Amino acid sequence: MSDQSVVGAFRAEVRSHQPTERLAALFGAHADRLYRLARRLSPTADDARDLVQETFLRAASALRSMPSDARHEEAWLVRVLVNIQRDEWRKSEVRKRHAGETAPALNQQSNTESELIARTTIWRALDLLSPRRRAVVVMAELEGLSISTIASLLGITAITTRWHLSKGRRDLARVLKARTGEAR
Amino acid sequence: MKTVGELLRSADPLGYESSWSSQQRLAIEERVLASPHAGSRTWLRRTWLTATATLVLIAGIAVAPRFSSSALQAAVRFEVRLAEESPAPDLQPAIILPSGRAIYLHEEAVVTNADIAEANVVRGDSPSTFGVEVTFDAEGAEKMWIATGNHLGKPVAILVDGEIIAAPVVRSPIGDKAYLTGDYSRAEAERLAGGMIGQ
Repeated sequence: MSDQSVVGAFRAEVRSHQPTERLAALFGAHADRLYRLARRLSPTADDARDLVQETFLRAASALRSMPSDARHEEAWLVRVLVNIQRDEWRKSEVRKRHAGETAPALNQQSNTESELIARTTIWRALDLLSPRRRAVVVMAELEGLSISTIASLLGITAITTRWHLSKGRRDLARVLKARTGEAR
Repeated sequence: MKTVGELLRSADPLGYESSWSSQQRLAIEERVLASPHAGSRTWLRRTWLTATATLVLIAGIAVAPRFSSSALQAAVRFEVRLAEESPAPDLQPAIILPSGRAIYLHEEAVVTNADIAEANVVRGDSPSTFGVEVTFDAEGAEKMWIATGNHLGKPVAILVDGEIIAAPVVRSPIGDKAYLTGDYSRAEAERLAGGMIGQ
């Protein structure tokens, strides 16, 4: 078929770094930062570690097409991580599962249990957001990044970033108010 | 009443659980570095052979499309766009030039001439035919990889002067190269390659 007469293929040239060395350097430079983001995008620490591992495995298979400067490397890895999480999110029924949850009876628990339940309830509310929107909210609220930095890291415009942040805050406030009685 | 930000900070797992341990970090690093793609020379050789085999296979089944004369003038407008098989409100219907098949284009181009680092003439599937090897710059390659990586199993349209010359289905993420094959003469391929980078 003529439709198939154009094909993309990876470059097969040797770069200045051998793949293993470059991959090790990438891991050393970005793994901790990616873990922090992954943990904030995941329900558990195990999920976060899996997410980081999958991100670097993707990087291993695409080293030749990766940008070579640190800033673009980081953005590339962040986007891959968020995309992997998005794929998982789409496959899972997380949204539906949590959408039907009712607020735990916090006042019937001991203080420690109440705190744990409150934290879990708040954190699980984030599962309702799409991974990209969640990433925007996490980066803005917990990492303190500016709109322009978030936009650059995620490869989206500042307008889209602001929209995700605004919508994410509104959705979270609505859910948290229903579940915990807090949030404005 | 707390703000959403205050509630999130109070529930942030990084605030109350320990980060990953050095053993956990090391275990992941070792698994990543042990992945098949991390081995240097073997991996490069395998990639090259795969790419070559793919090209040979594709060349064998291609029904060499030819560009219209307008597509081979000095300034050649080149675009790659994601596409869909089915219509949707935001998509632009178009016809694939060689086959006449309908396709539906995304509004924004993934890469354009501005993302091309090099365009070189390469030999085609017979001694008298030639094609063009397009190499994207780092930013273009990144855009292609991200866009096509999220578009697996769907078509990506290659447009020259606004005409779709091909729309292969993405089988794996496309990196920094695309090959335009067909039964172009050397002169046609040179004009096409030169036009792509504004020569």
